[in-house]
Amino acid sequence: MTNSWQDMQNTACFLIAGSNCAENHPIAMKWINKARAKGAKVIVVDPRFTRTASQADIFAQIRPGTDIAYLGAMIKYIIDNREYDEKYLKNFTNAYYKVSKDYKFEDGFFSGFNEETRKYDTSTWGYQLGADRKPIIADNLEDPDTVFSKLKEHYSRYTMELAEKITGMPVEKILEITETFCRIRPGSFLYALGMTQHTTAVQGIRAYAIIQLLLGNIGKAGGSVQALRGEPNVQGSTDMANLISNLPGYIPYPTNAQNTLADFQLKHGSAQYKPMVALLKAWFGDNATAANDYCYDLIPKTNPANSPTFVQMYKKMGEQFKLMFSVGSNSLISIPDCSVVGPAYDKLEMMVVVDIFETETAQFWRRPGMSPADCPTEVIFLPAAFVYEKAGSMTNSSRLIQWKEAALEPLNGCMPDLDIIDEVFRKVRDLYAGSTDPKDAAILKSRWDYGHVADPLKVLQELNGYDETTGQLLPNLAGYLNGAIGTVSTGCWQYAGVTGAGTNFAARRGDADDSGLRLDRNFAYAWPGNIRVLYNRASCDENGQPLDPERALIWWDPVLGEWTGNDGPDVVDKTKGPDTPEGKQAFRFNPEGAGRLFTAAYTSYPDAAAVIPTRSAGMTVDGPMPEFFEPTESPTENILHPKVSKNPVAPVISEIIGSSEEYPYVLTTYGVTEHFCAGGITRNIPYLNEIMPQPFAEISTKLAYKLGIKEGDKVEVSSARGKVVVHAMVTERIQSYKVNGKDAETIGMPWSWGFAGLSPGPSTNNLTMSSLDPGAGTPEYKCCLVNIRRA
Amino acid sequence: MTTRKLVFTDTSLCTGCKACSVACKAWNDLPPEKTDFVTSYQVQKETTAKTWTYISFHEKFANGKMTMRMFKHQCYHCADPSCMKACSSDAIYKTESGYTLIDHDKCIGCGYCVSSCPWEVPMVDPETKKSYKCTGCIDRVENGMLPACAFTCQPGAIQFGEYNEMIKKARIRLAEVLEFYPNANLYGEKLMGGTNYVYLLLDKPDTYGLPKNPSTPWSLTLWKSVIHPLGGVAIGAAALAVIAGVASNAALGNYRAKKENAENSHMEGGE
Amino acid sequence: MEVTRRGFLKLVGGISVVTFATGLGIDAAAAETKGYALKLEGCIKIPSICHFCSGGCSLLLYIKNGKLVHLEGDPDSPINEGTLCSKASSLEQVAYAEHRPKTPLYRAPGSDQWESITWEDAYERIARKTKEVRDKTWVSTEEVTGADGIKKTVTVNRAEGIGVIGSAEIDNEESYLLSKFSRLIGTPYHEHQARI
Repeated sequence: MTNSWQDMQNTACFLIAGSNCAENHPIAMKWINKARAKGAKVIVVDPRFTRTASQADIFAQIRPGTDIAYLGAMIKYIIDNREYDEKYLKNFTNAYYKVSKDYKFEDGFFSGFNEETRKYDTSTWGYQLGADRKPIIADNLEDPDTVFSKLKEHYSRYTMELAEKITGMPVEKILEITETFCRIRPGSFLYALGMTQHTTAVQGIRAYAIIQLLLGNIGKAGGSVQALRGEPNVQGSTDMANLISNLPGYIPYPTNAQNTLADFQLKHGSAQYKPMVALLKAWFGDNATAANDYCYDLIPKTNPANSPTFVQMYKKMGEQFKLMFSVGSNSLISIPDCSVVGPAYDKLEMMVVVDIFETETAQFWRRPGMSPADCPTEVIFLPAAFVYEKAGSMTNSSRLIQWKEAALEPLNGCMPDLDIIDEVFRKVRDLYAGSTDPKDAAILKSRWDYGHVADPLKVLQELNGYDETTGQLLPNLAGYLNGAIGTVSTGCWQYAGVTGAGTNFAARRGDADDSGLRLDRNFAYAWPGNIRVLYNRASCDENGQPLDPERALIWWDPVLGEWTGNDGPDVVDKTKGPDTPEGKQAFRFNPEGAGRLFTAAYTSYPDAAAVIPTRSAGMTVDGPMPEFFEPTESPTENILHPKVSKNPVAPVISEIIGSSEEYPYVLTTYGVTEHFCAGGITRNIPYLNEIMPQPFAEISTKLAYKLGIKEGDKVEVSSARGKVVVHAMVTERIQSYKVNGKDAETIGMPWSWGFAGLSPGPSTNNLTMSSLDPGAGTPEYKCCLVNIRRA
Repeated sequence: MTTRKLVFTDTSLCTGCKACSVACKAWNDLPPEKTDFVTSYQVQKETTAKTWTYISFHEKFANGKMTMRMFKHQCYHCADPSCMKACSSDAIYKTESGYTLIDHDKCIGCGYCVSSCPWEVPMVDPETKKSYKCTGCIDRVENGMLPACAFTCQPGAIQFGEYNEMIKKARIRLAEVLEFYPNANLYGEKLMGGTNYVYLLLDKPDTYGLPKNPSTPWSLTLWKSVIHPLGGVAIGAAALAVIAGVASNAALGNYRAKKENAENSHMEGGE
Repeated sequence: MEVTRRGFLKLVGGISVVTFATGLGIDAAAAETKGYALKLEGCIKIPSICHFCSGGCSLLLYIKNGKLVHLEGDPDSPINEGTLCSKASSLEQVAYAEHRPKTPLYRAPGSDQWESITWEDAYERIARKTKEVRDKTWVSTEEVTGADGIKKTVTVNRAEGIGVIGSAEIDNEESYLLSKFSRLIGTPYHEHQARI
C-alpha cells in the first residue's frame, strides 16, 4: 500500500477492483465507512456481486481477467477529455520525456520480441537521451515523441465499445465509473489477488498506476494505489526476500554473470551496492572486508537458466531437489493445478514441514488416492508456536512494523519458528566444525549468534543495523544512509532504524496524532523512515506548499530550510528545496525520479562520463504499457489482435489446456471472509467451520435453470485438469453476460478446502490453470475454463 | 444509577462478516454448532440455546440492480417483553439498563418464552432444560465495556450507547438514507414497548423476513395479570390460552415468514 | 397447521412436568444485586497481532495464571480500535486446540503413520540430511558465457538439491532468519506465498 488503512478515511472516491475487502480485509471497511460518512463514493468492479459490492454506490460485473480492457478505456477517456492533471504530469511524471524512435507496438507485439526465447529485449523501450545521458524532455505534452503521446496512441484503440465487448460491462457503466473517478478526487484504487492472479497481473497494476498518475492521485492523503496484501506478514516476508529473485531489502539477486561485487555494482548501480555491502556485513561481520569483497563470493549465485519460481519448483522435485523445507505454507492446496504437488513431494528424499496444525502438506503421503507405501519420502513435522505464543514483529500492508511480546507459553512445548531455524542452523554448523573446504566457509564464517535461546529482538536489531566500527546500533535510517560503505551493517536496509539505539520503535503504542489525517506516526514504525504516505512530495506544488490544505502531509519550510510536515517527507534530501533537482523529485527510487507512465529502460549515472551507474529502472518484462491479453484459457479470442490472443511471454506450466467447446464456462476462485487461504489454520477453528461449513460453486440462476441445478444440489465442476464435487449456490449475484456478442457465464468457487483438518472438503485448485505472470510469476488462479453438471 | 442503553444496528453498513456471531460465542463461551447452508452465505437459520446472534442474508435482483442485505438477529430486549409475561417461573426480568434477562436459577425450561416471543428468539437447551438467549453482554455493559458484538464490528454497523443519544443518532441516520431508500425505517423503536436493539432497515421488514407487526399474544396479558397469580392449579388452562393467543397472532402475520418461504424466495425469478 | 417452526406441540407436552409457578412477579432490584461478575477480573492484558490478512489488527489477550481467558481486539490500536473480523475473533480457539500436535512427528519411508520423536532427534535428523544433500549436490563453479561471447568458469557456491518454501505467516525475525539460513547453506531456491 502506498498509504495506510487509516488513510482510507481521507479518500473521496474508491475504485475497488480486484479486491473483496469487506470479506478478505474487513478492517478496510472501518476506514472506508469513515470516508463514506463524509460523502465518499464506492465503486466496485468484480466478477461477482460480493459482500463488498453490497456496499457500493456503483457496481459492475466484469468477465474475469479482462480488467486491462476497461482500464485502457478509462485511460483513453482521461486523455481525450483532458481530465489529466497537467501540472502533476509535468512536475512528477515522465509524461514529457521523449521515447526512443525505435519503440513500436504492432499487431499485439511490442518491439524487441524474440520468437525463439519468447521474451522481450527491452532496449528499444528507452528514452531519447541527451549528451549528458539524461532523458530528453519535450516542452510540449503533444510532441509526437513524448511518453504522453505514446500513451495516447496506444490507448486510442480502447474505446468504450471495445471494452464492453471484452469485459461484458455495459458502456454506460464503464462511462459512469470513469466519470465518477475523474470527478471525485482524491481517489484510491484498492486491489488484491483479484488483480495479481493473472497472466497480465503486473500490467493490470501498471494500468492503475497510470490512471492515478494521470489524475494526480498518488502521494496524497486519500490518493493512492492500495495493494491489500494477502497474509499477516507477506509484506515482511517479501522485504526479507523469501524469493529467488532478491536478497533482503529488494536487492536484486546476484546471478552467475555477476561474479564479483564489482560486476554486481556495474549491473545494478551504486544504489544497490551500498545495501548489498551492508547486508554482507550483517551476515559475515568482521569476516567481511573490502579486501575479500565482503565475502560476496560466499553467497550462492543463481543460474538464470535455472531459477524456478514457486510453481516452477514442482517440476524439479527429485530430479534436482532432494530435501525440501516447508515452513508455514500449505502448498498441497494452494498451488494451481495442485494435483502435481503430491507426486512431486513423493520424489524427495526428505520433506520437513513446520506448521501449527497437521496441514495437508504435512500429510501429502496419505492424500486421497495415494498408498503411503508408495511414497518413499522421509517426512518430519515440527509443531510451531502460534503468533501470540512468541515475541517478534510483523509488517502489515501499510509497511507498518509492529512488535508484540509473547502472551502465552507455546502449547505442548511447540517451538517458535525462530528457535527451529536457529537450532537447525547451529546443528548444521556443528556438523561442519573444523572444515577447511571453501564450500563450507559461508556457514562457518557467518555471524549467527542470537543467544542460547534465539532472541527475536537481537534479530530485529540485526535488521536495524549496526555501526560496525563501534558495535553500536544505528539510531535511525539516516544512520545507515549517511554511514560510509563497509562501516554499517543492516539485514534489510528499509528496516534500518526500526529498533533505534535504545527504543524499539516497532513496539511504540503512542496515540498522539495532530495531523487530523490519522497518520498515527507514534504508533509502531513504518518503513522507510516512518513515512506513512509514500511519494508525499507529490502532495505539494512546485513551491513545496500543500496542494490541498485540508490534507497537508508535508511542506517546504523556507525559514528552517527543510522539508517538514505531518508526515515524514519522502524526499531525496530534506535540505534540498523545491527549486533544486532533488527537491522536485517525488519518486526518488526511480532512476528518473519521476512517476513512470511508460516503463522505459533507463539507467541513471552520476555524470556523463561515469562507468558505474547510479540506478537501473525496474522493468515490466511484457511491455512498457499495459496491453489487454486474453487469459490462458478463454472462452473467446482477443479482438484487438486475434493472432496474439494471450500474453506472448507468459509461461504456461499446466500440461493440459481446455477448450471452450468442452469447458464453456469461466471459473473464478477466491477466498471467503470466514476462512483464510488454504485453510490450514481456519479449517481447524470450530467457530469458523460453523459459520462457513463447506465449499460451494456459485452459479447464475440462468445457468442453473439451463442445467437443471437447484440450490443445494451437489454439482461436479470439471476442468481439463481435474474435477471436484461441491454444493451448488444458485445466485443472482452472478449474472449471465455477453462477451464479443456471445452469451457467457462465470462460476465462482472459494478455494480454502482440503482433505485434512476438522472440516475437510474438495480443493478447488484441482481445477485451476498453472500459467504465470511473466514478471511476477503469479499464477492465473482467477480464470480458467470449466464445465459443470449435477453430480 | 444505571441508565437505559441502546444497540443501534445500521444494517446499511453490515457486510455480513459474521464477526458479531463469533465474538458473541467467544465472549459467552458458547460452543459451535453443526451448520449447513440456509441461503446465500447464511448458515444459521435461527437463534438457539448455543447461538444467540447470527446474520441472515437477503438477496434480490430487480430492475437490473442487485441488492444483498444482511440482518443481525438476536434478542430485541423489548421494553414490554412477552417472554417475561409468559414465563411460568418468573425467571425473566428487566434491568434498569433495559435488558431482558433470564435467571437460570429460576428457569424451569417450560418454553413459554420461546413460543410467546414474536421473533422466536429464546430457546430451551434440551440438555440443561433452561432457556437461553442474548444477554446483551450485561456483564460487559455493567462493567463499562461494549457488548461483544458492537465492540468487534469493523464496518461500524453495530453501535452501542445511551438510549437517548443513540435513538437520536438512529433517527438522523434514517433521515439521511430516506432520500435514497424511501422504504427505510427504524425497526424496533416502537415495537413491543420499544426495543433496546433497534435497526435501521433500508427496506420493509418483510424483505428481511421480519414480522411486520410483532405484538404480545392477548392471552399473555390475561395469563400474567389474572390467571398466573392464582398459582399452579390454573396452569393447564393458561397453556391453552397461550396457544390460542399465539395462534391468533400468527394468523395476523406477527411471526417471521416460514423458513421455506424466506429461504427460497430468490429462486423464483430464476429464469 | 404449523404455528411456529419450533414445534409448539412439544412444548404443550412438556407442560405436564411443570409442577409449580412462583407467581412472585418481577424483582429487578434483587436480580441486579446478583451482580454481573466479569470473567476478566484478575486478568493481565497482553496485546498481539492478528494472524490472518495484512491488516495488522491488534489483539488483546486476557490472561489469568498463564491461561488465556479471553481474546478480543485491542482498543489501543489505531488500526482496528478494538474491532476484529470473524476470523480474528475466533483466534482464542487455537490456543488450546486439542488437535495441535504434541511432539515432532516422523514418518518413515513407505510408512502409513507418524511416530512421535523428540525435538533433539528431529533436529539431528534434519541437520544430518541437510549436510548429506548439501554435500552431494554441491555446485561450486559453472561455466558462463559473458556478454563478449567468451566462456569462463565462475564460482557459484550452490547447494543444488535443497529447496525452501518460506512463509508470509511467520514473524519478520523468523522470515529473515530463514532467508539467511537458505543463502548461508547455499540454496538460492527459496520461495513462498508472496509469489502466488
